Amino acid sequence: MRAIESGLSIPLSSVKPLEGQVRYRAFCVQATRAVLKAGRTHWRDVSPVSGERLEPFGAVEGLEYRRCPSSGSLFLAEMPDPVAWARVLREVARQRFAPDGFYPQLAQLRTEHVYTPKLEWIQNTLRLQGLPRPTLVEIATPPSVMSQLLGESARFSDVAVIDEMALAHGEATGVGDRRVEVAILLESLDRVDDPRALLEGVAHMLKEGGLVFLTALVSSGFDMAVLGINNVYLCPPDRTNCFSLSGLVTLLADVGFGLVEVSTPGVLDVEVVQAHLQRDPTLPLSPFERQVIGSTEAAREQLQTFLQRGGLSSFARIVAKKLGGG
Amino acid sequence: MNVLLVGYGYMGKIRHRVLRQHPSVRTITVVDPALDASSELGQTMLPAGAAIPWDGVDAVFVCTPNYVTAALCAEAIRRCGRVFCEKPPGRNWEEFRHIAETAATVRDPILMFGFNHRLHPSVQAAKALVGEGDLGEILYVKGTYGKSGGLHFRQNWRSQLALAGGGILLDQGIHLLDLFHLFLGRLSVVDAILTDSFWGCGVEDNAFLLLRNDQGIPAFLHSSATLWKHTFRIEIGCAKGYVVASGFLSQTGSYGREQLVIGKRQFEDEAMALGNPREEIIYFDRDESWEKEVQEFLSAVKERRPAQHGTLDDAQEVMRLIRDAYAVAERQTSKRGTHESD
Repeated sequence: MRAIESGLSIPLSSVKPLEGQVRYRAFCVQATRAVLKAGRTHWRDVSPVSGERLEPFGAVEGLEYRRCPSSGSLFLAEMPDPVAWARVLREVARQRFAPDGFYPQLAQLRTEHVYTPKLEWIQNTLRLQGLPRPTLVEIATPPSVMSQLLGESARFSDVAVIDEMALAHGEATGVGDRRVEVAILLESLDRVDDPRALLEGVAHMLKEGGLVFLTALVSSGFDMAVLGINNVYLCPPDRTNCFSLSGLVTLLADVGFGLVEVSTPGVLDVEVVQAHLQRDPTLPLSPFERQVIGSTEAAREQLQTFLQRGGLSSFARIVAKKLGGG
Repeated sequence: MNVLLVGYGYMGKIRHRVLRQHPSVRTITVVDPALDASSELGQTMLPAGAAIPWDGVDAVFVCTPNYVTAALCAEAIRRCGRVFCEKPPGRNWEEFRHIAETAATVRDPILMFGFNHRLHPSVQAAKALVGEGDLGEILYVKGTYGKSGGLHFRQNWRSQLALAGGGILLDQGIHLLDLFHLFLGRLSVVDAILTDSFWGCGVEDNAFLLLRNDQGIPAFLHSSATLWKHTFRIEIGCAKGYVVASGFLSQTGSYGREQLVIGKRQFEDEAMALGNPREEIIYFDRDESWEKEVQEFLSAVKERRPAQHGTLDDAQEVMRLIRDAYAVAERQTSKRGTHESD
């Protein structure tokens, strides 16, 4: 297993500005509330990671989150039926790319700072793993910028997109007996109503020895841990599940994957907390946390590097290999 | 497979550990004159003075000090024909030639030399990324490999010319030369400075080599027994970026965490600060180089094919460079002596 640290330096405002996130979050919360109100719902009591009973954590705009006691992973408690949830995910995905959404305004910067590094990460890892021009699927709720870039890179023999909710519920069309060498899940496990089922679906469609590339925002990371329920990036449906790093690792192992890379190359944790404090100085942070965030720029940069190296950033990247018999 | 392991020092113990875990190995017979009869190897071992039991052996591992390596390796080639020999393959070019010429007298010998550094994960990752990888063609290679010696360095056989055949260049520098060969192909020595500046053992404690491959790509090597901070570092500059492999997952961890820095070339149009590009650092937490090396040799024996690396040709390349480096350095020293006497 290897861990990767990234020296990429990018400002929060160029990829996911806090004010843009606040507006987007209002839309997301409203969409989630509407779907929960409209139909039948169920409550998630059991951790998909450990099978333990979930414990109370807090509420985001009245939407309750629960916590897995052993892993620290967070889960939205009340969920609608899968069809309704898939509809919400599609609605929110469209909103991201709507003219008044913040993705179009940041399209070029996000391509440069978010998608291109991810593409390089995938390509370099495939080179290191000796997998030239593999068959690949991205598991996502369309539209996906990444699939377009993957298709254009010419480093893959075939690129397809499979709907994440359909795969999680065994309804993905075009899968059948098809087996691919690489699956990409960019924050997909964070969104779906049944992350374990999604991972099992991915394992089913991967060839033995095939790789899954996974990114997630993790609850064990600095900004998530410091801000907790007050973190504006914690909201459904994008963060329906907010696994801890150990929670993700456990889940992958359970489903039959061996780890190739586990890393937290995030570069924004400290700036995310700083931006939250600027927006709301009354946030319940300890004096020491305030002291850290108020320290010199050099000290903050060093802290971010420390978080990357220690697996303590909230942006996690994992590469896992499907083991034999999995 | 019945394996004979000759020499149970530092390297012999490592090979023994790996061989014990290998599914194809049935028996291991260990021969070492210093072995105590009470040693608990869990395998057959022969006490001091016992003859080497060549009969019925499927493969031989020669893990001895340099002064007996060539003779034992040659005998193992004659007796068994399937030999893994630790580096260096002899104390000098002549001893290496003795091994090579012996191999030429045997039909289809399977011969492999211990150059495990090319199997370290950081080196393998670097190899995957340069050239046809995204970083483009190699422009230069620089390597530093060194240790601090320690309190008993002067007494160690590695520091004695008659026993070792050379100093730090032959001991550790040989690994860097093998890596340069891996990345650049055939090389020649442009210049060499060897010094015995601290330890005064009569062998070089620092070696500085300037090399060039057949395409003119330069390489620079610094091998040292006076690096008070243990260091392994190889930098490969490419047209579109660079990689720096450093640290080693050694038993003591004294070389630091094994890592590979990957940097992409960025000019002003791609980055705000010229000369400070985005870097990724890969950390590795498992070194399987010993296992991979033994696996390759035993697979070659089993499949009756030549080994794919650590071959006689690979060994010849590094021994030729070391021969030439010593010759160039000797000429430099003579020239300097002449100037000084003028």
